[in-house]
Parts: sequence; C-alpha cells; structure tokens
Amino acid sequence: MKSACAVIPVKDGERYLDELLAALAGEGFDEILVIDSGSRDRSTDLARAAGARVIEIGPHEFGHGRTRNLGAEQTTAELICFLTQDATPCAGWLAAYREAFTLDPRVGAAYGPHLPRPDTSPMIARELTEFFSGFAPDGRPRVQRAGDPTFLANVNAAYDRGCWSELRFRDVAYAEDQAFGADLLAAGWTKVYHPAAAVLHAHDYGPTEFMRRYFDEYRGLRETTGHIESFDAVAALAAVRDGVRGDRRWLAEHGVTGLERARWLGRSGVHHAGRRVFAALGSRASALPAPLERRVSLEGRASVGSPRSGSGPVASPTTAPQPTPVAPRSRENDYALIEEVWRSGTVQLLDPVPGTADRERLRIAMILPPFSRGSGGHNTLMQILTRLEQRGHICSVWVHDFLGVHRDVWPAVLRSELREFFAPFEGPVYKGFDRWQGADVLIATGWQTVHPALRLDQCRARVYVVNDHEPEFYATSTERALASDTYRHGLHCIAASPWLRDILVEYYAASADAFQLGVAHDIYVPRPVRRRRDTVVYYARHSTARRAVPIGLMALAELHRRRPNVRIVLFGTQTTLDTSFPYHRLGVLTPEQLSWLYSESTVGLCLSLTNFSLMPKEMLACGLPCVELSGVSAESIFGPDGPLELAPLNPALIADALERLLDDRELWERRSTDGIAFVASHTWDHAADEVEAGMRHALALREAAAL
Amino acid sequence: MTAGEIVETADVEAVRAATQVGDPRSELERLRDRVAELEANLVELSARSNAAVAEAQAQTYWLERWHVDLNELMRRPGAEELRIVLRAVRSVGRSVRRLKRRLRS
Repeated sequence: MKSACAVIPVKDGERYLDELLAALAGEGFDEILVIDSGSRDRSTDLARAAGARVIEIGPHEFGHGRTRNLGAEQTTAELICFLTQDATPCAGWLAAYREAFTLDPRVGAAYGPHLPRPDTSPMIARELTEFFSGFAPDGRPRVQRAGDPTFLANVNAAYDRGCWSELRFRDVAYAEDQAFGADLLAAGWTKVYHPAAAVLHAHDYGPTEFMRRYFDEYRGLRETTGHIESFDAVAALAAVRDGVRGDRRWLAEHGVTGLERARWLGRSGVHHAGRRVFAALGSRASALPAPLERRVSLEGRASVGSPRSGSGPVASPTTAPQPTPVAPRSRENDYALIEEVWRSGTVQLLDPVPGTADRERLRIAMILPPFSRGSGGHNTLMQILTRLEQRGHICSVWVHDFLGVHRDVWPAVLRSELREFFAPFEGPVYKGFDRWQGADVLIATGWQTVHPALRLDQCRARVYVVNDHEPEFYATSTERALASDTYRHGLHCIAASPWLRDILVEYYAASADAFQLGVAHDIYVPRPVRRRRDTVVYYARHSTARRAVPIGLMALAELHRRRPNVRIVLFGTQTTLDTSFPYHRLGVLTPEQLSWLYSESTVGLCLSLTNFSLMPKEMLACGLPCVELSGVSAESIFGPDGPLELAPLNPALIADALERLLDDRELWERRSTDGIAFVASHTWDHAADEVEAGMRHALALREAAAL
Repeated sequence: MTAGEIVETADVEAVRAATQVGDPRSELERLRDRVAELEANLVELSARSNAAVAEAQAQTYWLERWHVDLNELMRRPGAEELRIVLRAVRSVGRSVRRLKRRLRS
C-alpha cells in the first residue's frame, strides 16, 4: 500500500480546520502538513494540537502553485493529498484515492467531488452536484486521458509523487490545479475521478462576493489556460433562464416552498446573470484599469504580467514565463503532404520500358488544383488534356483539393464541372488519390500538386506543366520557398512560354521544354461590328497582383489627362474601382462577349508581371492591337517589334504606347494584321503537340538515363 | 476479347516465354516483344476501366449532385420494406396492364 500525506495550506482557517483535521485522523495518513501563511486566528494552534506538522511562511510568500510545491517538497509519502482549509473529507476518502491510483498504470492525479454543506445556497449546491455527477454518470470511478476534460481542483485532489516531480505546479496566481490537469494529460499521464473521494466544501459568499470571485476565477483561467469566456447577450439571457429553471426544480425537489422559494429564485436570477457578466469581465480583466481591477477582484489584485498603457510601470517578473502545453491534434496540418515528402522522400519511378516514349497510346494522369469557372490556367490544362485524349491517350484527372474548395462536391460533379467550364473531357475524374492506379506519365500542374505527385507510385515519368513562375505570386514566405522548391525535384518541366522555360533551366537547373498557349479560334475572330476609333479596353483584374493594375490605372489616368475624349472600358472584375478618370465598366465577360468587345475596341491593354497570358493573344486574334510590358515574357514570344506594342513598366510610357496606336493609323493597321496572322498558328492542337512532345521527351530522358 | 481474357492470355504467354530457351539475341527480341505486348494489354485494360468509370460518373451525376448514396440509403430502416412494397405495386400494375391487353385482344 502506498504511503500518503495530506498537505493543507491555511490562512485564518479555524472555522473548519478542527473538523477537517479530525476527519483526517481517521483516514490513516502517514504525514499531515499544514502550511500557514500568516494566520491571525488559532489555526496553527489547532493544527499542532491535532498532531500535524506546521510550517509558517509570510503572507507575501504564498502562491497557489508555489506553496503546494513547498508542501510536496517537505513531505516524502508516495501519495500527496491536497485539501483546502474549508474542505472536510468524508469517511473513506483516502481509501478511495488509494483505489484510484490502482486503476491505470499511468495515474498521475485523482480528484473527487465537492459536496455542499447543509447551509450552502441552492444555486451552488445544485451546480456542485450536477457538475461532479457529470464526470461519472454511473457513479463509478472514471479514468481520464488526453482529450478528456482537464479539470483538476486542489480543494480535493491527490497526486502521485513521480508525476508531481515531473510536472510540478506552475507558479501562477490562480488555477495552478487546472494548469496541472492540462499539463498532466499532455504529458501522457492519466487522472481519475473517484466519486467516493468526497469532501464537504462550499464557498459561502454573498451575491456581490460571488461575482467578484467569478471575476477572479475567469481571470485566473485566462492567465493559465488562455480561456476567454465569450459573452453574447441573447445566449446569456438564455443561460440565466435555464439556470433559474434548474434552481426552481432543485428547490421543489428539496421541499423549499412559498416565500423562501421566491427569495431564492430572486437570488438565483442575480447569481446567474452576475456570473455571466463577471466571468466574461474576468476573462478580459487585463483591459481594465488596474485600480478598477483591484476593486472588482475579491483577491484585491491586478492582472499578472499584463502591461497596459497608462497603468504605470510594470513589475519585473520573478520567475520564468510559464508556457501553456498544447496536446497534439489529430487534424493534419496544411503542409502534411509536403512534410511527408521531406520525411519519406520521393516514391521511386518504375523502371523505364524501352520504346514507351514512342508508344502510340500513353496512360496520362493529370493532377489539378482546385478550380472555378473562368480559370485561365485550368482552361489551358483541360484544352490540352482533352486533345491528348482525342488522340487516343488514356487520360484521367485527379483533383487535389488542398484548399477544401470542393469539400462537398463528389467526383461525378467535379467531372461535369470540368466539362462545362473548360473542355469536353471524356475520361474519369477522381477526387484525392485513394483510387490511384499508376500512369506512364503523371502530370503535376500548380506547385501544390507537385508534392502529391512525388508520393504517387506506379509511374514511368513525372512531368510538370508550368503555367507561370508561381514563386512570384508570393511575398517572401513559406509558400514562395515551397513553390520554388517544386522545380528542384527532378520533374521534367513543360513551360507555357520560352521565357518561363529559360527561367526554369537557368535558375533551377531543371530539364524543360516549352509550349505556346493556344487560342480558341472558333470564338476569338473579328466579329462583324463597326470598330470604334476612341476606345481603350483594359483587363483590370485588381485581385490578381501580377496584373499590375495600379500601374495600368496610372497609365490610363495619364492617357485621360492627355486625351479626355478617349473612352476607357475596364473589364475582368466585378468590383467598381476608384479611379481619377471616368470609365465604363463591363465586369467579368464570357469568351463570346470578349470577342465582340475586342472586335469593337481600338486598343487593348493587358499587363502581366510574370508569364504571358492568353488574353493578349485573344485580343490579337480579334484584330485588336494590344499594349503589353516589354522586358518580360511577351517579348520572348512576339519579339521586340512583333504584333504587340510593348512598353516599359512606366505609366507615362504605357500611355505613350496607347497614344501611338490611337493616333498612327498605319501602325494600328500593321499591328492588327500582323496580330491576326501571328496567332493563326497558335492553336490548342499545336499546344497539345508541344506538350505531348514534352512528355515523350521526359520518357526518353528516363530511358536514356537507364542506358 | 474481355479484360479477363487479356490477363489470362498474358499469363499463358509469360509462362511460355519463361520456359523457352534459345538464341540469346532472339530471346531478347522475344522478351522485348513480350513486354510490348504486356504494355499494350495494360493500356487496353486502362482504357476500358477509364471508360467504365467515366460512364459510371456520367450516369451517377444527379445522385452525386444531390449527395445521394443509394447503398447508404438502402441500409436505412424501412428502406428494404419500402422496396418490397414498390415491387408489389409494380407487379400489380403489370398484371393490370397484361389483363387489359388480353381483354383488348
């Protein structure tokens, strides 16, 4: 049988101390220690008379955690039982604790119920009874593990010395027991609630003192566990109503009637309302002025370690800051797949089979990031994949929904949406990789699809269709670093422009091919509409940072200053942008609507700070000359003096370029004619040819490496 | 040829290939041909399974759109009983139609 000691911190506790010590005498303790922190009543005399060892400390030395640690240090028994000076153990208390510590090999602590004394108010009596019966509805001891309630109360608790030595009480002003309960479960210990380890205990306060005590309790919870009690007026009223109803039931069950019952019900309303308010206030105590906080607090103190402006100098801490332990959660973190690649590495590709690169039909699996209607990148991918499928390749799509965009969408619906939004793909569409079957060529697309691609098996080659240099989408960040890293995993890249291919080769030493974005020539053709001579259309999608919309708007403001009569039309966003010039807004348009707009307008403006997009080509296909940025990707496709009018990233110079096309009819004609001719060969069939060649190149590289 | 027949043929051929011994060059050629044949079988099987899944997805679109899992639905209490009642009603309907046809003829 384990040895046991009782430790009781005391200050002016003579009211119940005699009764408490008498109850302990019959329990068979090896040691009883009373720590007195400046009592001015007979507490120490009573303790000594009962045979307890007494340690006296100054009032300023007292701390809920600190003093209990002292008590544990000053004793040697294997079980350390803590009581407060107003908690009287019921018969069989220690036996119940001894039993509790046999229920599981990792029991670090145990606690029991607090029974109301006969004079306890009905509200508290009911609450105590209902609260503790909730831990063991069947009346039997209950072992609590990680994930169970962390509740633990040193009013009535027992600790295994090994567990206490490992964790010790935090030196906090309040709720050291709650903190220990959380620490204990997080550290892999268990605790036991034993209904038979009961004490008689109640804080018998008046209404005002109760509220002030709740203020202290919830302030302590905030300081130790970070808990913030929410406050919602409607919910609070409902809680008060429920509380009063519960008390009325309790009073009826206990035979309280008439005036006595009415009096208690009035008190019940005040009690529950005050509790709600002061609990919420206590959680936010650090926001109160320190003098007010001291007045409200029953302990008469201000918040610990919470500096606030205007509250005077903050006292230096006397101990190291106490971290709050957090138990692991089962939910996967946002980077789980990336973490898996780092931890377990890349899954090996299948051995190359000679001749696969030249085989007529390939098994192609494409991983897509989440999508929505109108996504240009997804359109490119699906246009190409559909054409590969039409050539006899066996294609499938695997949607990697890392954002949870399609959480409630089932695969058949995803397939239907891909067909409706982008292209008439005939193959199957899977959500996630549970049904993964392998492929000759696995195609990663957005950077977030690379990591799942690296973990999929049964593949002969992995390629990476790179639509844009995605690290440039982010400021310096984890995402930027991870996006850059995806180019270094050995996937053969097929880039959506020579400019992009060169970046991949030069900066990341990746093997790469390039393809040209196609144009839907059945939609983007010059429409039979009179071409205006005064209209500039601008793709003002301000939510896409790489579109440099602020600079585009500055250029249009400059153009308006020079030529107030030029008609400016903004499209590509549903938002009405604030500008210094008047304009017409068209919102987000369908491809057909765009082709009519391009056919009617005079000059197009479309800026991209990264890779070239579909839009300038579509404008050119409709005979609309277009201004783009020089020195970026467009120049690599169209040349410095091709069909596009190029301008540096400078509002005045962009306005110059727009003016040239508005003024110089000959230049306009040349650009328009050259544009139509130039993009005529830029078809999705041609893009599919290039991507197919890139995939076969990837397979050939693997075969060559094997030789 | 069914998918099962393709696999069965492949197994038989593999056993034959493994048991035949001859000129190393022709042996190599034969093994290459065999690999190509197996690859072709795999492609054919993939094409068929892809088509089957795609067809099933096209057919179950509305069920998936409305998040209806018929297997789950039929596991609910009363579902089987409801199905039996519906079958009985259909059976009665058929009998009535059959009787009508007889009376007309």
